[in-house]
Amino acid sequence: MERTTDADRINEIQHSAQPCFQCGICAASCPIFRVAPDFNPRMAVDEVLRTGTVAMTGREWFCAYCLMCEERCPMEVALSEILIDIKNLSANDGKVPPSIIEMMDVIRFTGKVSHASKRTEKKRRELGLPELPKPDVDEVQTIFEMTGALDRLMRFREAEVEPE
Amino acid sequence: MTTSDSVSDAGTGVEPKVEAAESEIRIGVFPCKCGKNIGAVVDIDTVAEYAKTLPGVVHVQVNTYTCADPGQKEIQEAIREHNLNRIIVASCSPTMHEDTFRKTVKGAGLNPYLCIMANIREHVSWVHQQDPEGATTKAKELVAMAVAKATSLVPQPELDVPVTPSALVVGAGVAGMQASLDLADMGYKVYLIEKEPTIGGIMAILDKVFPQNDCSICILGPKMVDVIQHPNIKVISMAEVDEVSGYVGNFSVRVRQRARYVDPDACTACAECIEVCPVDIPSRVDQNLTWKKAIYIPFPQAVPSSYVIDPEACLGMDLLRCGKCYEKCEQHAVIPEDEDKIIEFEVGVIIIATGFEPADPKKIPRLGWGRYPNVITSLEFERLINAAGPTEGKLVRPSDITKPKSVAIVQCVGSRDIHTRMGCSNFCCAESVKCALLIKEHYPETEVVIYYQDLRMHGKYFEDQYHKAREEGIKFIRGRVGEIQEYPHTKNLRISVEDTTHNELLLVDFDMVILSMGAEGVAGNVPLPISVTQDKFYIESHPKLRPVDTSSAGVFICGGAESPKDIRDSVIQASAAAGRASIILQRGRYPIEALSARIQQDICSRCGTCVKRCPYGAIIQDGTGRYTVMGALCQACGTCAGDCPKDAIVMPNFTNEQIFAQIETALKENPEEKIVAFACAFCSYRGSDLAGVSRMQYPTNARVIRAMCSGRYSVKFAQRAFELGAGSVLYSGCHLPADCHFQTGNHWMAKREPRIRNWMKRKGINDERFRIEWVSAGEGKKWQQIMTDMSEIAMKHADEIRKKRTAKSKGKTKGGKQAKSKRSPKTQGTKKGKKKTTKTKRKKED
Ligand SMILES: Cc1cc2nc3c(=O)[nH]c(=O)nc-3n(C[C@H](O)[C@H](O)[C@H](O)COP(=O)(O)OP(=O)(O)OC[C@H]3O[C@@H](n4cnc5c(N)ncnc54)[C@H](O)[C@@H]3O)c2cc1C
Ligand code: SF4
Ligand code: SF4
Ligand code: SF4
Ligand code: SF4
Repeated sequence: MERTTDADRINEIQHSAQPCFQCGICAASCPIFRVAPDFNPRMAVDEVLRTGTVAMTGREWFCAYCLMCEERCPMEVALSEILIDIKNLSANDGKVPPSIIEMMDVIRFTGKVSHASKRTEKKRRELGLPELPKPDVDEVQTIFEMTGALDRLMRFREAEVEPE
Repeated sequence: MTTSDSVSDAGTGVEPKVEAAESEIRIGVFPCKCGKNIGAVVDIDTVAEYAKTLPGVVHVQVNTYTCADPGQKEIQEAIREHNLNRIIVASCSPTMHEDTFRKTVKGAGLNPYLCIMANIREHVSWVHQQDPEGATTKAKELVAMAVAKATSLVPQPELDVPVTPSALVVGAGVAGMQASLDLADMGYKVYLIEKEPTIGGIMAILDKVFPQNDCSICILGPKMVDVIQHPNIKVISMAEVDEVSGYVGNFSVRVRQRARYVDPDACTACAECIEVCPVDIPSRVDQNLTWKKAIYIPFPQAVPSSYVIDPEACLGMDLLRCGKCYEKCEQHAVIPEDEDKIIEFEVGVIIIATGFEPADPKKIPRLGWGRYPNVITSLEFERLINAAGPTEGKLVRPSDITKPKSVAIVQCVGSRDIHTRMGCSNFCCAESVKCALLIKEHYPETEVVIYYQDLRMHGKYFEDQYHKAREEGIKFIRGRVGEIQEYPHTKNLRISVEDTTHNELLLVDFDMVILSMGAEGVAGNVPLPISVTQDKFYIESHPKLRPVDTSSAGVFICGGAESPKDIRDSVIQASAAAGRASIILQRGRYPIEALSARIQQDICSRCGTCVKRCPYGAIIQDGTGRYTVMGALCQACGTCAGDCPKDAIVMPNFTNEQIFAQIETALKENPEEKIVAFACAFCSYRGSDLAGVSRMQYPTNARVIRAMCSGRYSVKFAQRAFELGAGSVLYSGCHLPADCHFQTGNHWMAKREPRIRNWMKRKGINDERFRIEWVSAGEGKKWQQIMTDMSEIAMKHADEIRKKRTAKSKGKTKGGKQAKSKRSPKTQGTKKGKKKTTKTKRKKED
């Protein structure tokens, strides 16, 4: 069951990758590729196109999802979809790195990805922005439970890969 | 041939006089065996016997090969002997031999449009090989349909219009110049319109031109002089076309020429005036890299060789405000009172050669042009390296006027990008290699790297150039540049690019970057109804077989206006366009489509719908408010007639009356089993023919009605067919979006679908019984499939009808009383009820 959906997913990804003509503008624009030569968005698209599979090496998690690549892609390749789909496939495969699992936990218990620092709060006040809302942690917990995110989190934790 | 000198007869739409139809219709039918092609399946003698019984038929003659000489002679003899005035040849497809037989009857003194064909080969014998009986029945009915149509055929005049032996060429780049020279050399008068103060176009400001890298102005300059000195060419510079009216052979052109404020005949280009002019403005020819005066000459070799005053910049030519040039000029060439002029003339043909513009680098902010002075475009480079340019040929960085030690050339800027232009600009790869070679030639120690995506050095001699570039040590790296950043102090540049061959990010510093700019279309800036692509290049009449013709007869395109291309291809196209145009000029007369639309003024309600439908702008409203068709522009597609709410438009040989007659005849016997299929002459009918040629078998119940274009099929045709009980109805046309031979007929037909379906719903007609299909001339297989599917639908419907009938007749035989009670059962009752509710609903809607 799980496998077939994945095959469908890959088919879909492949479809959205088809307009790519391997110009390399995405790679040349990607801030992560600059510091992590192992991660290249063009190669990710190319891999999907060429082999019909996504190699889940763990590097797919490097992507910061800034979408500079999609912004500049001359063929309007849906990199936003492709990159997130690859992450999802990787997650299904139990390849979520510990840092991401940790982040999920942070969200689960605090309702935020990171704490707003004193400085941020001060800056917001200076700019006349409203105070950040306090997340309702119970509500977040419920969301985690009801959407199945909690189950997934537990599964990821079981399959947790040792950091290389 | 009837010819008419009077333009108003044929051109402006006053209905040409047609010989009145003879009172007695005398039809001759000529069933053909086509050897065994038809004869082996269809029983031709039965068809012939049947034809004799049809109204109006006075002569029937079977032939083995009607298209052969003896067959044609027999038709001609029969016409004379039996005084025939309508001819039907029941043989192959009209696509094959309609022209042949029209000529045959013309030879016997009959108007050619009184001859039509019944297609009993491609549509019968070849596709129903296993069903001789069904095939023979179908052949009989096709002949009957043709006879029904023939009864109301009327003779159509074969007119032509005189052609003015002169040409308008718009745009005086290398393409416009070449086309003008060719036509002028043939002896025709040419009006060459250029919007700039000089002719020459882009080529005039290039330094060297690939692939041989010869000096551009050295080869173009003499040609520019040839143009201005040619006795048959009138160059009108600083001018644009204001209005074009008329039609092929007879265009009236109005041109507006801006004031030059300098008399080009008096000006000797001595340059005294610029010594005194106090105003400096950026030089557009030099890409704003330097200054010029308010009185200026675009470049020394400009043609006409005359200065010009920019009225926006000039302080005032009167002595009070400035007037220094006026005072200085010994030739008295400065004319302060100069005004815009309107120039009017008549031409027979038009060639559009308006070229393209280099793409706009401002649209790609990530590459920094405009923010970083040392990022320049290829055209700016051309001016910098040009000995007559702002730096007298020295390549320098705009930021500090020093010589760059390293230069990056960035490819595909403004091309191959959904956000700017999808297409490849065709010349920029070769342009980049040329720039690189020019830099190496002047400064061999400079490091030059070309960043390319695909190097398209496809033209003759181009590979040699590429080879040379590699020998010169120019580096080629595959990867499109992502972004360019500037070091604020040194103004050096850092480019970020992936070397896609090695899957490696490169961050490289350069002193200067050249952006190899693609082309941006300008098509549409001439007031002519020629369709343009999304990226603004003119659309040719046929991309392969009529590449320099347009949909408007007598209007041709060439050079960069058609698509981005290099000089050689522009010149080739220009000569081609001139050649095509000269065919019209040389003949002296232009034949008018005999089957062009005619508007019946007494019926027309003047709604103007037809004007919007016509893809050729053939329908105009004259001074009195009447809509008329210009015969010389109309291509007889019938799209106007398809949507005319009053049925005021007559499409000769495809009139409503004729098409209704065909529908009625087709549905005389067993209508519920029949497919009434409409097919357009250029795609779907040819697709149906191909099914025949390929012997693709399908059931015999289709009756095809041919029209010139699917735009002709009005809503009423389907309605009439269903009212007469047709099992299914097909509207087939050329594929959307762009295959229609008449450009947009298929779009307008498709727009009628909801109206037909709504009507069907109201009438309780099952939706599946009507279909719209796009069939190309190559899709015989698809035609076979459609016929098979629609036949099933028709048969299913026929079955239902039969069941209902037997139910009814059963009731009848059982006696009146029972029959009455039979009608009351639920199913029928509810049906009636339903109908009533829909009726009342409709009333409410009204
Ligand atoms: C930077 C650059 C470098 C190039 N280098 C080379 C090279 O080395 N070799 C090569 O083979 N090709 C080269 N090309 C391509 C070459 O420029 C074109 O092939 C050529 O100019 C096309 O000629 P054209 O007459 O069709 O158009 P253009 O040269 O663009 O001329 C069109 C003319 O029409 C005029 N015009 C436009 N609209 C109107 C209007 N509405 N009314 C009146 N006049 C109008 C314009 O003012 C212009 O004078 C280069 C192009 C660029 C941009
Ligand atoms: S920018 Fe777009 S087209 Fe270019 S390589 Fe990346 S995904 Fe492919
Ligand atoms: S979204 Fe990911 S791949 Fe794309 S530019 Fe940002 S980090 Fe790179
Ligand atoms: S569409 Fe018909 S009624 Fe309307 S203006 Fe044209 S001819 Fe007249
Ligand atoms: S729409 Fe077609 S038939 Fe009607 S005037 Fe235009 S070209 Fe002629």
